[in-house]
Amino acid sequence: MTAPGASAGEDSGDLGRVLAQRERKFAMSLLAPAFLALLATTTFPLMFLIWTSTYRMDLAMPFADGFIGLENYRILLADERFWSSLLVSLIYTGSTVTLQVTLGLALALLVMDMKRGQGWFRLIAILPVVLSPAVVGMIWRTFMLAPEFGVVDYLAINAGLGSKNWLGDPLLAMISVIVIHTWQWTPFAFMVLLASLASLPEDIYEAARLDRATAWQRFRRITLPLLRPAIVMVVIMRTMVALTAFAAIFTVTAGGPGTATEILNLYAYRKSFTELSIGYGSALAVALLIVTIVISGLLFALRRAK
Amino acid sequence: MSLFKPTRRAFLKAGTAATALVGLAPAVLRQAAAQEADLSPYKSAKIDWQQTSGETITVAVIPASYFDNLIAIAPQFKTLTGIDVRFEKIPPAQIRQKSVIDLTSKTGIYATHAADPMYYSLYAANKWVEPLDSYVSNKSLTDADWFKFDDIIPAWRNADSIDGKLYGVPYDGEVTIQVYRKDLYDAKGLKPADDLATFVSNAAALNTPNDRVWGTALRGVAGAGQNMYIYPSIFREFGGQWFKGGKLTVNGPEAEAALAWYVELMHKSAPTAAANWNWPDIADAFSQGTLASYIDAHSSASVVNNPEKSKVIGKVAYARWPKGPSGKRVTSIWNWGFPINAALPEKKKKATWLFIQWAASAETQARTAHRFAGPTKRSGVNRTSIWRDPDYVKLMNGFGHNFVEATMESLQSDTDVDWRPRVPQWPAIGDTMATAIQSALSGQATVKAALDDAQRRVEPMMRG
Repeated sequence: MTAPGASAGEDSGDLGRVLAQRERKFAMSLLAPAFLALLATTTFPLMFLIWTSTYRMDLAMPFADGFIGLENYRILLADERFWSSLLVSLIYTGSTVTLQVTLGLALALLVMDMKRGQGWFRLIAILPVVLSPAVVGMIWRTFMLAPEFGVVDYLAINAGLGSKNWLGDPLLAMISVIVIHTWQWTPFAFMVLLASLASLPEDIYEAARLDRATAWQRFRRITLPLLRPAIVMVVIMRTMVALTAFAAIFTVTAGGPGTATEILNLYAYRKSFTELSIGYGSALAVALLIVTIVISGLLFALRRAK
Repeated sequence: MSLFKPTRRAFLKAGTAATALVGLAPAVLRQAAAQEADLSPYKSAKIDWQQTSGETITVAVIPASYFDNLIAIAPQFKTLTGIDVRFEKIPPAQIRQKSVIDLTSKTGIYATHAADPMYYSLYAANKWVEPLDSYVSNKSLTDADWFKFDDIIPAWRNADSIDGKLYGVPYDGEVTIQVYRKDLYDAKGLKPADDLATFVSNAAALNTPNDRVWGTALRGVAGAGQNMYIYPSIFREFGGQWFKGGKLTVNGPEAEAALAWYVELMHKSAPTAAANWNWPDIADAFSQGTLASYIDAHSSASVVNNPEKSKVIGKVAYARWPKGPSGKRVTSIWNWGFPINAALPEKKKKATWLFIQWAASAETQARTAHRFAGPTKRSGVNRTSIWRDPDYVKLMNGFGHNFVEATMESLQSDTDVDWRPRVPQWPAIGDTMATAIQSALSGQATVKAALDDAQRRVEPMMRG
């Protein structure tokens, strides 16, 4: 192919510009269908959501419906349950992401040194990830955590801890949903970190060994800095998912007992679809959106900061 | 969400052989029913059943044997009226949301659906469903002497009416009663509780977790149709009033006493796991012999008498709700009724009414209950006359000692239209109360704090 215009040649100014313009047009026409579909399926509903959040829309009291501007947000800021569900969301996200990355990294380091059976280990480890969160929730709720009858409770009784009401006690329920999410998604962190570990250059480690760096020093000074981009990426992806988690908590505790595991997402769902206050529910969803954007913005800034 | 009976399968005397046929039965029965059905009992009604012949309507029901029986004989309706009925089965957890979405968008997908009686206020406030009185009184649509609307259990008719206007016709319903192990009670010389205090002491006397027998269990899992299905009875029995001076009130001394009674009973004499149980879990535990008693829907009797699973057949007996400090017994007025979607064209509305009239008629009720050919019979028929029919009573007595008496007396004397607050905001109120009850049960909040918080949340919901 002869395409001198693509490079910054001096003799090809005009031709280059025409070609570049044509290319742009072609690219745009290729992009258009996907772009329009995206607009229709994501941007429009999002705008509609924001629009709805400025209305009072209460299926139980249709006569009171109407435009109320920012009133929903004023109520929201004074709503204790909004703040407590936001706090639950943050605790849930913070602890699950930390656990996933720590455990995933530990597993990856361990498996890296496995001489045999690495493939099998990876295959088995990936299984929880491919399960539907709703199914995972049902399994844990009925099979693992049921007091007197569940596997976890059986182990707890045999370990001398006694039978515990895993999903009926506020603190234990919170721990349970965190463990479930971590159990399901640690393999994801593990796989990503294992792949980056495998691609680290061996010669640096050799040089370090010659300099008599201890294993801990090698980990601190070489492995961690080199893995940093991968770790930050995992943290960002997992944070966004954890902030908007729904299915597993919904099936395991439905936010209970009381409101002990009610994350913001679940509260918005309840307001909209159980209590039928569509306007206020939309405002909650928008608040969740803002929180997610702010947190991911911070994380992306962190990623660039290096 | 609440009161479906997916496992109301086998009946006591039907035996294992009969239950093995369940899978095959509907297809076989449908054919048989269409061929042999004798339509003369319907044709004696002085209306033109064929007046909307050729219409097609869609009916949303829940997957439960009492609706399966109706679906099985639906070909008779087609022959009688020329109306095609398409049934759509939606699990109870989704049927409310799906029908609300259909009604609010006015798409008219479901001509009628199995409706939660607590939703009629919401429906009526939005004019989503038709007031039915004009259909009942319209001589070209309803033969009053034949339909005998007054024969339908009054508590359920009231539950499906708002401000004296009828919005739904009850098809199947239930009352809550005490279910107890007669053998265990007799061994300790106990009698079924006549008041709430005795119920607590009975449960405590039989609570021996080391032998894996717990005293009792009530619904513990949060939900408008779960813990908020049992608690309202206790609240009313303690003298609670949902409306004080026109204002919805969920806290106060009566409420605190009621919730404290529930929490204490559950803590002292129920398995820990019951905090997450709904009625099927309770009935399963009882049928495995691990519970000495429970209070729940009378229809759960079919689960504890399931010959395939139950270990307590022949040891089960029944009694009405124990009396509360107010001297009242308050039972559920739950029923699945059929409303008419207001978004339908006129002719479809008429066709839907003919369907409702057919389904709620004494003849169809009998054909889906004791005269049903399949192994599963209904225990929630809507007709007072059928509850007096010796054939039906004989069948129901198979469930155990005092079953028919307890159910009938509850239906006649213990029903209470103000059992739960019947307002359009019910979905929100029910959910808020469910959360409060569970907070108190789990110890997340004290009884008083949980109720006061619920009150704070309920108040803005009621402001227009």
